[in-house]
Amino acid sequence: MLPHILLVEDNALVIDALTMLLEETGHRVSAATTLAQAQRVMSEESPDVVLLDLTLGGEDGLSLMPSVNATRGTRPIVVALTGHDDPETHARCIAAGCRTVLVKPIAAMKLKGQLAEWLGERAAF
Amino acid sequence: MSRAYIDDVSAERLALLQEQNLELSRLVAELRNEAALRTQFLSNISHDLRTPLTAIITHGEILRDGILGELTLRQKDSVGGIIGGGRQLLDMIGEILTYARGAAHQLTLTRTEFSIASAVEQVCTLNESLVAKKKLDLTVNIEEGLPPLYADRDKIAHILGNLLGNAIDFTLPGGRVWITCSRGAPTERGHVLLIEVGDTGIGIAPEHHDLVFREFAQVDASASRQHHGTGLGLAIARKFVELHDGRLWVESSRGKGSRFFFTIPVRSAP
Ligand SMILES: Nc1ncnc2c1ncn2[C@@H]1O[C@H](COP(=O)(O)OP(=O)(O)O)[C@@H](O)[C@H]1O
Ligand SMILES: [Mg+2]
Repeated sequence: MLPHILLVEDNALVIDALTMLLEETGHRVSAATTLAQAQRVMSEESPDVVLLDLTLGGEDGLSLMPSVNATRGTRPIVVALTGHDDPETHARCIAAGCRTVLVKPIAAMKLKGQLAEWLGERAAF
Repeated sequence: MSRAYIDDVSAERLALLQEQNLELSRLVAELRNEAALRTQFLSNISHDLRTPLTAIITHGEILRDGILGELTLRQKDSVGGIIGGGRQLLDMIGEILTYARGAAHQLTLTRTEFSIASAVEQVCTLNESLVAKKKLDLTVNIEEGLPPLYADRDKIAHILGNLLGNAIDFTLPGGRVWITCSRGAPTERGHVLLIEVGDTGIGIAPEHHDLVFREFAQVDASASRQHHGTGLGLAIARKFVELHDGRLWVESSRGKGSRFFFTIPVRSAP
């Protein structure tokens, strides 16, 4: 079964681009444009990795973290996506339980490599 | 003149002054508000510009990296151009955002201990290909035994990057560009590091030395100019230097190259 990635992002153009990149490199992708949608996908399908945009319209992406951290069983690896990587944002994401912070646009090959690494770790569990 | 007359005139003047005072404070409030609005506008627009650019660059990389199938060399070059242009635009948007934050006093320092040599090396590596492309001679000279800095590494690298970027841009192919780090003359508050970024480029006339540090200011602002930038690089560099309690200035004349200097006070980690 293909590794499942939940993409939480509110811009359709960015969703299209990342979905193409992820699907073409061997992943299954679900996209959510709101936190409510993201929560639904998480409870129904337990994705392996969540790529989480920090600004979703008016919502703060990190508000998803409490429900991620409360997941029973294997928690998804959450990676924050942001346009501006200032130290405060970085610290806030790590404190909330994100694995790391990636600055958009993420280099295609780098994302592919990092995903392989994280998914490998999970498989080793 | 009668006493009553004088009192009358004074009262009138006082009333006038009070009225003018009121008007002035209203104006000041309005200006403050306008500055805040401008900052907010710049900040919003840079966020919004970034999003579609992200999509453009990601699609470009999907193509360039052969994820949808291999491209010919020419095709790869062409897509590389799209990505390069997009990244340049992204950098400019980043500068506008940084400036907007600085203007809104939203910038703070995150201090760590590091050697200035490592920051210089990082910035030189980033600019390696540009230097090679213009066949410039870039030299770095760092005095032996300099103390480590306890400062905001990203911001110091940002300052160096902006100054070096300008030195590269405003120097003709075959010219020289250098970075020198040494002990500066100590001030009453202690030791400082003195960093110079110099070039043998087009130089800046003395009457423009103040102008170039102003936001959005460029000596040659004509549409046909060769150099493309936001005019914010030096304003941001100065802001970052001042956040560290240092100074940034230029020594230059037209056609004689430019030497930008900045100081960073040496502090020890707590
Ligand atoms: N090393 C240099 N040599 C000559 N002119 C320079 C140099 N650095 C800066 N300038 C002048 O100062 C202006 C402002 O520089 P800067 O604030 O970095 O903005 P930008 O590079 O985006 O134009 C430049 O447009 C240029 O006219
Ligand atoms: Mg510049």
